[in-house]
Amino acid sequence: MIRIRGLHKSFGAQQLFKGLDLDITRGEVVVCIGPSGSGKSTFLRCINGLEHFEKGEIIVDAIELHSIRKVRPERQDLEAIRQVRLKVGMVFQQFNLFPHMTVMENIIEAPVRVLGRKGEEAYRDALALLEKINLQQKVDSYPDQLSGGEQQRVAIARALAMRPEAMLFDEPTSSLDPEMVGEVLSVIKSLVNEGMTTVIATHEMGFADEVADRVVVFDKGDIVEMGPPEEIFSNPKAERTKVFLSRVLKR
Amino acid sequence: MKQFLRIFSLLFGLSLLLYWATPTQAKSGALDNIKKRGYLLWGSDAEGGAPYIFPDPKDPSRLIGFEVDIAEALARELGVSARQSQNAWDSLIPALQRGDFDMVMNGIEVTPQRQTKVLFSIPYYIYTEQLVVRKDETEIRDINDLKGKKAGTLSGTVAQDILMNLGSVNVRIYAGQVEPYEDLAIGRIDAVLLDLPIAAYYGKTNPRLRYAGEPVGEGFYGIAVRKGDDDLKIELDRIILKLLQSGELKKIYEKWDLWNKAQDKLLAGVKDTSGYSDIEASKNAPVRTFFPMLLKGAGITVLISVASMALAVTLGLVLTLTRQYGRPLLGRLATSYIEIYRGTPLLIQLYILYYGLPNIGISLSPVIAAVLGLGMNYAAYEAELYRAGISAIPKGQMEAALSLGMTQRTAVQRIILPQAFRIALPGVTNDFIALFKDSSLVSIIAMVELTKTYTILAASTLRFFELGIIVAVLYFAMSYPLSLLARRLEERLKGKSR
Repeated sequence: MIRIRGLHKSFGAQQLFKGLDLDITRGEVVVCIGPSGSGKSTFLRCINGLEHFEKGEIIVDAIELHSIRKVRPERQDLEAIRQVRLKVGMVFQQFNLFPHMTVMENIIEAPVRVLGRKGEEAYRDALALLEKINLQQKVDSYPDQLSGGEQQRVAIARALAMRPEAMLFDEPTSSLDPEMVGEVLSVIKSLVNEGMTTVIATHEMGFADEVADRVVVFDKGDIVEMGPPEEIFSNPKAERTKVFLSRVLKR
Repeated sequence: MKQFLRIFSLLFGLSLLLYWATPTQAKSGALDNIKKRGYLLWGSDAEGGAPYIFPDPKDPSRLIGFEVDIAEALARELGVSARQSQNAWDSLIPALQRGDFDMVMNGIEVTPQRQTKVLFSIPYYIYTEQLVVRKDETEIRDINDLKGKKAGTLSGTVAQDILMNLGSVNVRIYAGQVEPYEDLAIGRIDAVLLDLPIAAYYGKTNPRLRYAGEPVGEGFYGIAVRKGDDDLKIELDRIILKLLQSGELKKIYEKWDLWNKAQDKLLAGVKDTSGYSDIEASKNAPVRTFFPMLLKGAGITVLISVASMALAVTLGLVLTLTRQYGRPLLGRLATSYIEIYRGTPLLIQLYILYYGLPNIGISLSPVIAAVLGLGMNYAAYEAELYRAGISAIPKGQMEAALSLGMTQRTAVQRIILPQAFRIALPGVTNDFIALFKDSSLVSIIAMVELTKTYTILAASTLRFFELGIIVAVLYFAMSYPLSLLARRLEERLKGKSR
């Protein structure tokens, strides 16, 4: 469903990706791990068109993204990126809920404005989503009246309200207090169990082990190793994977 | 609120006390002071002041004019030198009373009202009021044909009183003597009534204008000195008489093309210096008679402020959006606009808009020019406020909106701007209050709003104090509810998002 070929990306003079390739099939759960700054977040942001890249291509369900001009890109390129975003939802480390809107407004804003859905219908769907994440009593709350875990759950519901075919989670629990990590992960888990194509960048190794079909190890912009979780976690082949895992698992 | 009332009444009481306790001037010795000092300090306004006093076109650092010549003759006779002190014409008399100079000589008409405030010398010139119209004018033959027409004049002059007392004339009040003739020439007004010397210099010399009818009215210019400076007045009287008899004064008037038959009366020793006494009577009227005019002025102030703020808020938004999200070239244009409008005085912008544009064929009405001038100026400030608001919003907001499939346009409209407005709001309401008071600047383009109404009324009645307090109270009564409203709005928005 998502195919990445020869992805090149640099920040100024610093080159990060020197030709990444990766294929993600429909229904697959891919978990990206690796040290901070290894490029896993940037990789997700490239897929969603939030990051400009210099060379290579990203193909999502026959929609092709290629390198585009940084300043004033062509209209059709912008539209292609938007089409990708309609298929692929994204959840951010910082939640990024809209602070001037209630929980309900946050969720129905895009379905109504972007998909042109009727308010009432969008409202009903949103209620169903909120029930699933057990936040139906917070419909009229504003984001700053919610805990971090609740905010991130609403952010997930907001992305799901667009009925995406795949979801990207960019370190969804990294800015949460430890006691709230569980509630967010269980929401993601139930989503995975429903068969959603999912790409997650995370530092939660136990979670990766539990949900991943495939684990991809990033280091300094390279994919150093990938494979089923039991293989990566119990029998890593690459030296860099071993170093990384020994450092995180010791903690 | 209670505390505010207490402070206000305290201030009010204090100023009343000051009012009653006006300092008494030195009763004598004014003449001795001048001689000891070695120069005679005379107050006048050189702005657009030909042929009275104005910068020499050949050497603008030098002031010339018939009153400069007279002042030099007076000083020579006193055995001292003459030194001019620049002061806005409107407030020459209050400045004299305050002690800024020894005397005022600047086409000051001798009126009973002024005589209650200052001492006048014997007249040095007999003025008449001359009506000027465009060359192609067919309907206006004299002052009686002005009904329903737009007539311009100078603020605080006898001509203004004559026009106002005609009734049903649309009177436009100007602060300078050049502007009414400019506006007449390009058709913004239909006629100008002003003192003959002014008409001779600015009206007659303009190829597009001509005199209409004979001069009307007859009054006297006198030199004003402070009450109590009787020794100076007597000495000035003596010198003027001497200059009249020696023919030196006549020579000065002939040099400036101001001599006419009327001046013969000067030598005939005119005793009655009453001028327009019938009009003057109304000037001792109780304060409440001024309220209809003041309230009308206040209405115009509100109208101009609200209209120009609406323009500023919208144009500011367009500027910000162009600058932040528009094509690079347009963005640079918007940035230049903001820098230019913020970096030049509003007064200059208004002058260019109203008096400058007609030079290239665009003639705006005063209201349009006022609203455009204020609105376009404040738009630059609003744009900066919005920009600050936008840049205060975390990058993640835009990313979240885009990742939900919104176009940049929708994201800006629905996510970025509502939050940016909230941040900018205190600044915007603050600007509204500032604009409200800045609106007094538009009086220079013949808009009679509240401040202008005040200067007109005060200059003609010399009741600067009581009218000033009333006008200040009016301004406050309008701007205070505004700041209360702004505060409530802010609190409500805060409660919603935080």
